Amino acid sequence: MNSDIIVVIVVATALAFDFTNGFHDTANVVATSISTRAMPPRVAVTYASALNFVGAFISLEVAATVANDVVQPDLITPLIVFGGLIGAIAWNLVTWYFGLPSSSSHALIGGLIGSAFAANGADAIIGQGVVGKVMIPALVAPILAFAVGGIGILFIYRIVGRQRPGLVNAGFRAGQVISGGLLALAHGTNDAQKTMGVITLALVANGSISGEHFHVPDWVVLSAASAISLGTYVGGWRIIKTMGSRIHKMDTAQGFAAQGSGAAVILASSHVGFPLSTTHTITGAVIGSGAAKRLSAVRWGVAGNIVVAWVLTLPAAATIGALTYGVTRIFGTGALGPVVVSALILAGSALLFSRRAARGPAVTAPETS
Amino acid sequence: MAPLAEVVSGHDLLQVIWVSLAAGIGVTASYAFAILGGARAVDLTRSGRSGEAVVFGVLCALALAVVAAAVVYGIVIMTTK
Repeated sequence: MNSDIIVVIVVATALAFDFTNGFHDTANVVATSISTRAMPPRVAVTYASALNFVGAFISLEVAATVANDVVQPDLITPLIVFGGLIGAIAWNLVTWYFGLPSSSSHALIGGLIGSAFAANGADAIIGQGVVGKVMIPALVAPILAFAVGGIGILFIYRIVGRQRPGLVNAGFRAGQVISGGLLALAHGTNDAQKTMGVITLALVANGSISGEHFHVPDWVVLSAASAISLGTYVGGWRIIKTMGSRIHKMDTAQGFAAQGSGAAVILASSHVGFPLSTTHTITGAVIGSGAAKRLSAVRWGVAGNIVVAWVLTLPAAATIGALTYGVTRIFGTGALGPVVVSALILAGSALLFSRRAARGPAVTAPETS
Repeated sequence: MAPLAEVVSGHDLLQVIWVSLAAGIGVTASYAFAILGGARAVDLTRSGRSGEAVVFGVLCALALAVVAAAVVYGIVIMTTK
């Protein structure tokens, strides 16, 4: 009974993480479309939200990767999963507070690593899985997206550079609706699966489902799809502003090049089962499309802050995950620890939102530009 | 610590790189050709040069077909893996 209560708390926390994942990563899908006025803000997030939901049902390959390749499934308990999720949620909220597009996937994996390490030491971590399936692809993704976005925009300028701007802009805005849709679909396919993988990991740890025959239950797929879709709809407008206009002010062709190349990289990685960071990919493509036009067009200070946040994400989320696990265990192995930590996190989140709301206008509402 | 070659699947990474390059650059360039074809076809039609307008219209249609095929293939990749 006690372990069932813990699993219920873990599932609720996983869905809360999924919500912050959608909320945090809305920018990846809609920032360029909003910036170039291809779609009005609220239409863009509604469109992205619907396609994220659909995308979550398409494949389960990445879900299996998160659960089986990063931490030892047989050493994992629901309390470890809980600690990992809190680490990821906390880091997502911190980076949202500063308007930085960091990777929710890295935060989740980092949180799980820290929590598992605190519980079982280094034996719980599959080093090869972390490096081969997560870190190397995550290094490759932004560089590759930077190159593809940069080369893509050079081709575009070469091909349509002498045409009338009116028709060209209208054409690329229409193209952004298509590429943005594909990106949202790919984001749902990749990111909702990570939550599915974590929930399934907790269910396996609790003995609710067999670890011998790993499968993701239907209710997990449906709830994860709903949570990420709702988070996407709410939208993290501060990060949207950073991605859409603070890195560089993009034109419609750059917006299309960034979205199209980002979608291509994410789909290619998804095809081979890598839990690739959508944030790293799209940010790389956005910077590439700006730098290829003119190096000075990119605000490198903003880009540098984003890279610092990327580097910090894994260790910071791991530290919070480990601390959370430690605090939870002070209350024993029952449900009291997760309940106390959840209450503290909720209070902290409310404080963060209220402080952010007090500092600037309309934290969670679309800008009117 | 295992050698990097054992940790990272070089084949998978190479696959990601070449598919990304081909799809990303191919799709953006094709869509640019579609816009070029459409824009030139409109301009040439307005100036009464219908023969050349048809050629650019065909270019537009073919380029759009390539983009549509890429989008469909992307969705197929997602649905069939």
